[in-house]
Amino acid sequence: MSVVANYIPRDSFVHRLSPLTKLFWSFLLMTLSCFFRDPLVLAGLFLSIVLVALAAGILKEMFPVFKGLLCIAGLFILFQIFFISDGKTIFTLIPGTGIGRVTDAGLVGCLAMGARMIVIAASFPVLMGTTQIKDLVVVLVEKLRIPYPYAFMFVTSLRFVPTFMQEMDQIIQAQSSRAHRLDNKNFLKRFLSICPLAIPLMVTSVKKAERMAISMETRGFGVGKRTNLHSKQFRSVDALVCCALLLAGVGAAVLHFMGILA
Amino acid sequence: MIKVVDLHFKYGNIDLEVLRGLSFSVEKGEFVALIGQNGAGKTTLLKQFNALLQPTGGTVQIAGLDTARSTTGELARKVGFLFQNPDHQIFMPTVFKEIGFGPKNLHLSKAEIDARVEEAAEAVGLTAYLGHNPLLLSKGQRQRVAFASVLSMKPEILVLDEPTTGQDYQEGIEIMEMVQKLNELGHTIVFVTHDMELVATYAKRVIVLSGGRVLLDDSCRNVFYHPEILRQTNLFPPQIARLAQMFAQQPSLFGRPLTVEEIYQEILNLPESASHVCCS
Repeated sequence: MSVVANYIPRDSFVHRLSPLTKLFWSFLLMTLSCFFRDPLVLAGLFLSIVLVALAAGILKEMFPVFKGLLCIAGLFILFQIFFISDGKTIFTLIPGTGIGRVTDAGLVGCLAMGARMIVIAASFPVLMGTTQIKDLVVVLVEKLRIPYPYAFMFVTSLRFVPTFMQEMDQIIQAQSSRAHRLDNKNFLKRFLSICPLAIPLMVTSVKKAERMAISMETRGFGVGKRTNLHSKQFRSVDALVCCALLLAGVGAAVLHFMGILA
Repeated sequence: MIKVVDLHFKYGNIDLEVLRGLSFSVEKGEFVALIGQNGAGKTTLLKQFNALLQPTGGTVQIAGLDTARSTTGELARKVGFLFQNPDHQIFMPTVFKEIGFGPKNLHLSKAEIDARVEEAAEAVGLTAYLGHNPLLLSKGQRQRVAFASVLSMKPEILVLDEPTTGQDYQEGIEIMEMVQKLNELGHTIVFVTHDMELVATYAKRVIVLSGGRVLLDDSCRNVFYHPEILRQTNLFPPQIARLAQMFAQQPSLFGRPLTVEEIYQEILNLPESASHVCCS
């Protein structure tokens, strides 16, 4: 999952698009996923994300991310499915007792919620994998008029996800070397076993943030008006892609309100 | 104590092998330095010794235990691992509890844990700090806390990854002196460092890694008097050895000194005519 916020350099059509276009794509997918309730339609939206990753040449790198999201969605469905009692019973885990009852409405509802979660979460790593962070900052500041410190804070928090994951790996190794176990069968003990990992991670993160703040201040961060060395152009191809996305989005919404797509 | 046979290792799906067919063994009580340029595979090799990483080919045996069939927790009784950054492990509210974390994980009795903590704290000179918050100590002191937390587990083998990084000269020497004492008590020591003076002063044997292979494996003196081979890995012998090699043009002027003390003794023993050559 360390790839989740990393840029993966490729020379693809998707990489060359403006970050604004990709942000719009991501936003559109999130909006559409909130409209639809049919798991098949939501699966179709997820497939479109997979196809974009394929077109960008980063499907191999995205595969662990998608796999992780599918696992999380699977767990989510498993935890929810037995608590929805509406609809016809399809089967029960222990026949005749009503324990572990799965209904048709429960199954469809849980599948839809799981699929929606995947769609909302999956577009983001593809966006980050095909967009350089500096380009994203420039777009957020220049085009969306977001104040630079906020845009910087947003992208920096993303930039540090893989760094923190590496730190966590080091911490796990250090504590394992002192015979610390994370695979305790007792739930409470397993929960408490996170402390030896969480505290060093928090401490090192705060120290890292402090060092970074000092380093930025010594290089003039926040003094005067900023200028950008490079500006990412919104080209005609971006306008075309945005129009196509908008048309597809409006079309899907119309089909939904006409009752053709649930 | 440590037996490495045809060890191969690569990370995840990356095709490039980091370790490429290493074979060597370390006997009980040896004091071994692993040196090599960045990326040579030193830390990767160290992490094989307590199963933090496991071989993708070949075997690593620790006191007869195959690391591929052991967990890091199981090996923690035999191998103590001191990491470069103490902040990756410190989390307890007091130095006492921090040092006692390892022995507690070994399910020792409270009396045994207390005894071990006090013994380890005394060994690293932290007895006065047992009630302090370890996070508020200096970097050098935090490194000593980390070291004490390894010592309290009483491992037979001590593996140290750049133990003197971030320490001032005196702190570094103090840590290495402690390691030397443990070695004299029979502990096996394997350490990684870029400080050749430390290697020359403390290590008895040096293994030079280059590109995931063993380039040289010999006594400290023999390794540092092979500058042409060391240069292949961007390593330079300690200054005293380089100085002695410069004087090697004067036949039999010096033996093969490695430390200031050694060259000082040799200068004292030089005949009158030779000391004239040396100092003119």
